[in-house]
Amino acid sequence: MRLTGKMPVPQKEKMNATFYISAAVAVLSTILVIVSRRAVHALLYFIVSLLAVAAMFYVMGAPFVAMLQVIIYAGAIMVLFLFVMMMINLGVDVRGPEQAWLRPSRLAGPAVLAGVLVAELVYVLAAGWKHSAAPVEVPPEQVGLAAFGPYVLGVELASLLLLAGLVGTYHLARGRREDKSPKEEQPR
Amino acid sequence: MPGLLADGVELWPLALYFVAVVVLAGGILGLSYVLGERHRERATGMPYESGMIPTGSARVRMPVEFYLVALFFVIFDLEAVFIFGWAISARQLGWAGYVEVVIFIAVLVSALVYLWRQGALDWGTARRAGADRDRSGRRHGDE
Amino acid sequence: MNPILFHLLTIVILLAALLTVASMLIWGERRLLALWQDRYGPNRVGPLGLGQVVADIVKILAKEDWIPPFADKAVFQIAPGVILVATMTAFAVVPFAPGLAVADVNVGLLFFLAMSSMSVYSVALAGWSSNDKYSLLGSMRAISQMVSYEVFMGLSLMGVVIQVGSFRLGDIVLAQQRLWFALPQFLGLVVFFIAGLAETRRIPYDLPEAENELVAGYHTEYSGMKFASFFLGEYVGVTLFSSLVTTLFLGGWLGPVLPPLVWFILKTVLLVCLFILVRGSLPRPRYDQLMAMGWKIMLPLSLANLLVTGAIVLAREGAR
Repeated sequence: MRLTGKMPVPQKEKMNATFYISAAVAVLSTILVIVSRRAVHALLYFIVSLLAVAAMFYVMGAPFVAMLQVIIYAGAIMVLFLFVMMMINLGVDVRGPEQAWLRPSRLAGPAVLAGVLVAELVYVLAAGWKHSAAPVEVPPEQVGLAAFGPYVLGVELASLLLLAGLVGTYHLARGRREDKSPKEEQPR
Repeated sequence: MPGLLADGVELWPLALYFVAVVVLAGGILGLSYVLGERHRERATGMPYESGMIPTGSARVRMPVEFYLVALFFVIFDLEAVFIFGWAISARQLGWAGYVEVVIFIAVLVSALVYLWRQGALDWGTARRAGADRDRSGRRHGDE
Repeated sequence: MNPILFHLLTIVILLAALLTVASMLIWGERRLLALWQDRYGPNRVGPLGLGQVVADIVKILAKEDWIPPFADKAVFQIAPGVILVATMTAFAVVPFAPGLAVADVNVGLLFFLAMSSMSVYSVALAGWSSNDKYSLLGSMRAISQMVSYEVFMGLSLMGVVIQVGSFRLGDIVLAQQRLWFALPQFLGLVVFFIAGLAETRRIPYDLPEAENELVAGYHTEYSGMKFASFFLGEYVGVTLFSSLVTTLFLGGWLGPVLPPLVWFILKTVLLVCLFILVRGSLPRPRYDQLMAMGWKIMLPLSLANLLVTGAIVLAREGAR
């Protein structure tokens, strides 16, 4: 019953405005991620970008996914990134090594692949512009029903994958621990 | 209650509230910047280390346990999110869904038990050194 | 009333109330601690020492707003703002009375969890950007602790969600008309309360700022209002957790005779006092004990609570 009352026509205009604002924020902050010189600043812009994408999900009628985006990506994975930066003290200034990585010859491959994607995007936008932005509200209950209904196999496989991830992580970190004394001298 | 709070309609107060909070927080911090005193002494620009003159950089490296905790958190948080999905529709899913989530949680718990017995959840060097020395004899003396 | 005006008024009053509560708690906590520890506490300025609040604010505002020359200046300035924004934004989904909420969205509970996971950044960024050894150590501790307790904070609430079938906090309150969830979900309540203590880094869980070993932890280098922001954030966080415990387990605004809003405030204030009582009575554990408690006791407990609740709910409904 709640669903039916939710889609009055004038609503869409408002939704679109919010959508485009968050989309602009997302694009802008993603660009700033790339051009930031300090790793931690880049990470902050990355978080903003993820939050903006979450806002987009929300106005597109997927509140559950929006919240998961914040909890998982912005709240967990980015914390891990930041944590690693704090641990190994990246983030102060990595201009030197970064310039070594970013030689033009190394950029050729990614540039070609990105070009293909851009071409595809342009094609999709040109062909299917008309049926974009038709939000259908998906309440969280439906996500649960789908995940543990038709897609349950995926969920159970995900749990196995996460199990493997946990065990693998632990053993990778443990292997490090055995050689305790030369830890300080380890190269970056 | 239903109908009163349709979600799309409620969006703008949320956005406005967020903006207001950001402005408020910025205002509080800015006010202090404007009103605060300023001074410059010999040791003003020095890190505070309880009166000691700091030696070395503060960019020290950290033990790997911290990294392990963060990774465990990411993985368990992901699992928790799947459980959120089940919890909200638990009634509609019925016993079939219950069995599914029990299997899911069983895998999660088996991972937890494995890590526990490996000593990954123990913190601190002394205990871990003991764990490396003999892994089997340690368990009964654990708790 | 005009709905737009109503919403605007809600926002303004809520923000004013939050600021008042947070600054009053600076005084309130000291008075209550003094009461329980058999001493006076701040009692000189004004009636009951209430003028202390004003005096503290004036003092803090007059302090130098020092930005360390060795710090990462931008991040250093953002960090204290993050905790204020994250904790205050989370209040948007809390229903204070029927229909009285900024936005009682259908993912309210998740919104709260999302915002509380954002507050980790404040501590992390403060510690990293200060470029001070104590700050870094304190913030590493804080992140590991908050992150460990966050895992089961969400899980401990899922028992309630199973019983209600909704993340909307208003629905959760209305589902408690017959019986408050504090009774059937007692385990969840306890686990959530402990997680709340850890997330707000209150005393049994204040190792990140353990003053006898880390000076002040992640906010060692902060001064003036930035320093106070961490405490404002802490007090807003305590109020947030209290009002969530009220909403989720103690029937929210429900109660006889008195108007709903009064009931909500009454319950929340009592819980805030409980938070302070905990601070007044518990010692600080060792760090390894604290982490072990999270992973080895709280996480299994919340999973067990969830499964048992699910089984009981399904059995009582006679589900297929």
